[in-house]
Amino acid sequence: MFSRLIYRNAKRSRKENLIYFATLVTAVASFYIILSLGRQDVILFLKEFESDAIDKLLAYMPIVYLFALFLLFFLTLFANRYQLNRRGKEFGLYLMLGMRKERLVLQLVAEGIVTSVLALIGGILIGGFLAEIISLTVSKLVGQGIIGHQISLSISAIIMTVIGFLFIQSLALVILGGRLFHQEVHQLLYEQMDKIQDMGHLRGNIFHLLAGAVLLAIAYWLILYHFMDFGGLLLFVAFVLGCLGTIIFMRGFGRLLGILTSLSERKSTKGLRTFTLRQFQENIANKSASVAITSILITLSIILLADGASIFIGLENTFARSSSVYDFTVNGNDQEVEQFLTSEKMVPYVEDLNFLEIGHMKEQGERGENDMPLSLVDWSELREQLIMVLPDSYKEQFLSGEVQGYTISSENPEALNLLGTLEIDTKAPYLIPESSYNGLLKTIGEKPLNLQSDEMALYFNPDFMSMDNLDSFPVLDQILEVAEDNGKSLLHINDQAIYIRPFLPMKGLAADRSIEITSAFIVPDAMFKQLLNEETYASYWNFRIPQKLQDEQGLMLPMMESRDILKSSGFEFESYLQNFGRKLFYVVAGSYATLYMGFIFLIIACTVLALQFLTQMKQTGKRYVTLSMLGANRKQMKKSMHRQVMLTFLLPMSIASVSGAVGIKAMISFVMVNVDDQGQLYPVAFAFAALVIAILVIYGVAVTRSADHEIDKLRWKPDID
Amino acid sequence: MNKHGKLLEVQDIQKNYGKKNNITKALKGVSFDILPGEFLGIMGPSGSGKTTLLNCIATIIKPTSGRVLLNGKNISAFDSKDLADYRGSRIGYLFQDFALLDNLTGQENILLPLSIHGVDFAKAQTKLNELAGFLEIKDVLDKFPAQMSGGQKQRVAAARSLISDPDIVLADEPTGALDTRSAKMLMNKLEEIHKNSKRTILMVSHDPNATSFCSRILFIQDGVIFHELRRKHDESQEKFYERILQLLAQLGGGSANVL
Repeated sequence: MFSRLIYRNAKRSRKENLIYFATLVTAVASFYIILSLGRQDVILFLKEFESDAIDKLLAYMPIVYLFALFLLFFLTLFANRYQLNRRGKEFGLYLMLGMRKERLVLQLVAEGIVTSVLALIGGILIGGFLAEIISLTVSKLVGQGIIGHQISLSISAIIMTVIGFLFIQSLALVILGGRLFHQEVHQLLYEQMDKIQDMGHLRGNIFHLLAGAVLLAIAYWLILYHFMDFGGLLLFVAFVLGCLGTIIFMRGFGRLLGILTSLSERKSTKGLRTFTLRQFQENIANKSASVAITSILITLSIILLADGASIFIGLENTFARSSSVYDFTVNGNDQEVEQFLTSEKMVPYVEDLNFLEIGHMKEQGERGENDMPLSLVDWSELREQLIMVLPDSYKEQFLSGEVQGYTISSENPEALNLLGTLEIDTKAPYLIPESSYNGLLKTIGEKPLNLQSDEMALYFNPDFMSMDNLDSFPVLDQILEVAEDNGKSLLHINDQAIYIRPFLPMKGLAADRSIEITSAFIVPDAMFKQLLNEETYASYWNFRIPQKLQDEQGLMLPMMESRDILKSSGFEFESYLQNFGRKLFYVVAGSYATLYMGFIFLIIACTVLALQFLTQMKQTGKRYVTLSMLGANRKQMKKSMHRQVMLTFLLPMSIASVSGAVGIKAMISFVMVNVDDQGQLYPVAFAFAALVIAILVIYGVAVTRSADHEIDKLRWKPDID
Repeated sequence: MNKHGKLLEVQDIQKNYGKKNNITKALKGVSFDILPGEFLGIMGPSGSGKTTLLNCIATIIKPTSGRVLLNGKNISAFDSKDLADYRGSRIGYLFQDFALLDNLTGQENILLPLSIHGVDFAKAQTKLNELAGFLEIKDVLDKFPAQMSGGQKQRVAAARSLISDPDIVLADEPTGALDTRSAKMLMNKLEEIHKNSKRTILMVSHDPNATSFCSRILFIQDGVIFHELRRKHDESQEKFYERILQLLAQLGGGSANVL
């Protein structure tokens, strides 16, 4: 008998309260998705190159898990509280019939277990399905066919999901059960409502509204104009101000709605307008804090989703080769490497094999004032020329000696970046023999340099110069061109006048980004030998995967194959894959985390709004009975209710939209350097905005349907026929 | 009003509850008429069918057979749309638990039937002032029900039932939740309304005190009307009250036992 009651009640909970059950299922599914991350194709793929980083990421998973546990705990707590409130009368009846409170709480726990088990089954199925879809989609987007698909089902994830969910579910029930335990039967039988319509004073409410608006405005101002000041401290201040502002604003707004209502009464009011506004006001004014919190959650979720989306756009940049030309860099004994790379098994994978030699320039024998070795390079004339073309504001700083250090940034003028780089690098510049660079030029289809014995070229690594246009330095080229036309030398090495060749095409020197060469002097081979500091000499073999092979099989597959062959050779090597993997890792880790948090916040906000509305609806159900006695038909009441739902969702949403827009604007201008093409951002931003709205609409529709159902159930007095 | 001058005609109403094998007959053929301007009371013990009768007239439940004619129109056969048009505009209600919306102010509560029926209530402003003045609720118009006393709440509810000039006001135990003083005040006001503006009122009540303000009382028991009392033309309320008590005593040993 008792067990049947438990079973039936649990069944009724699911049937009558789809939102409650759906919330539990969502909580389970989101646990599972985060826990099964380690089994995702992309992560498995990345493990091969970036095992350290992936391990580090997976080591963070317990923290993410705990955080998700913490957030989802509130979700289940809220959902369960709503569910128990709904059933207060029923519990009161059980107690009246002589059920002991211990027994009632026990029964609730038993019901909770039945519901939880079903939520777990549903949630794990849905979570597993979603994880599978995410895995497939991402590997398709990223992997270009090389990431093999594996079923992402993870037993450990299932076990952890079950443990975590049961833990928060029972914790929530214990807390709520305890509260139930201390309630009097009367309280349960006759639902308590917040009867007091405390609307405060007009002046106080206007003050709240204004104070809230001012706090929000300050927060916006801080975020838009002082985002990075004081090491991000102001960001925190802005966040706190924004939250406070939202809460105070809501408080004032909810209560002032009353005035709005009485104003609208002066004019002719048709239908249930007054009633609708009053219901809305009650919902907002009495619960302004939780409405404000949902607004803040929606704001956060908008920003996080936009951020996740922008990282995802960065995915395309991951595939863009930017300045790098070579796919592999091998080093080791020169002859052995050459022999291996030209051997039969490697030949199909090797094209444009190039031998890169590199080393620092010698320094002068004598030492300078501060005991530092003096450079052989005298570039004072070039320096002067560069300073001349600086914008005025920088020029003054430079000439007065105010400039202490340099940052290389895309926002600086080109000449300033060049000055900064050369100032550091000319002490003992890298040297590259002309023949090595000619190999690179040949690879990209350019003519060889053919330098005279008193000629050189300046090389800057495009990857480190953060420029908009990767391979041209218009300012530098102009200076060099003028000097060439006038037959003037801008640079001396070891007191010998050297002429610099303009218009050098610049590309990445090797496949491996760890060879960090910011700038170098490209000199005739003879000069290279003469000026080289032998201790710093290094040499690498670079090659590309043949274009034909790429056309046939894509880049990744032959890359993976040649990587396996190279691995067996025992030579040290680096491939473009590492670069790719590293970038991909940041994209995947970053976008997963932000998108996940974004969705969790959104779902929590929606659930809170939905359940809050339905609780009010349930508590005030009698009002609709009264309305129907006064002649309101169901259509009118449903219309009023739909309006209430819309307003309830729109109010937090509208403030969140403004705050979210401000946040996104700030992020675009301060953080998201990875979005090169802002035009790309808009479709994605719109897509995600549409997604947020779609989720809100789904919740809104679900709430509306539940509420419609409540209205359909309304009977004035029991009409048995 | 129909040609016979009757406002409400209740014709042989029967109401059965339950299914085939287990039928409870709540009303076993009740017939009576209400003339315009009458203040009719219905008294009966628990389970006598008086609430069922009122609910049938109030169009909340449909009778199993029989008709309820309001101004000659069979309102017991109306569909829900026509009913909604009648409720709150042609029929006013007054309830034991007031049924005020507690998130609306007094004034908003009173005007609610008008806005539901789409009546422009700029015109109703005079009417509102008049009613509020008469029912002594002017100072609670801007208050919420939680800030009013029980008597004030019921008088606000009375104003709401009268604002749309209904043909008939149906009152279900209107004094049931009030203390003696508030109850007396409410009944005085209702009687005055009935006398001064010839308003037709149908009231169901246990309380002989309340029904002694009526002009006629029907006694109902086991689903049939079995007695009628008429207040004589110049009979005082106190006298009428004594007559009611007398009848109740004759019928079965005191009101506490029977009614």
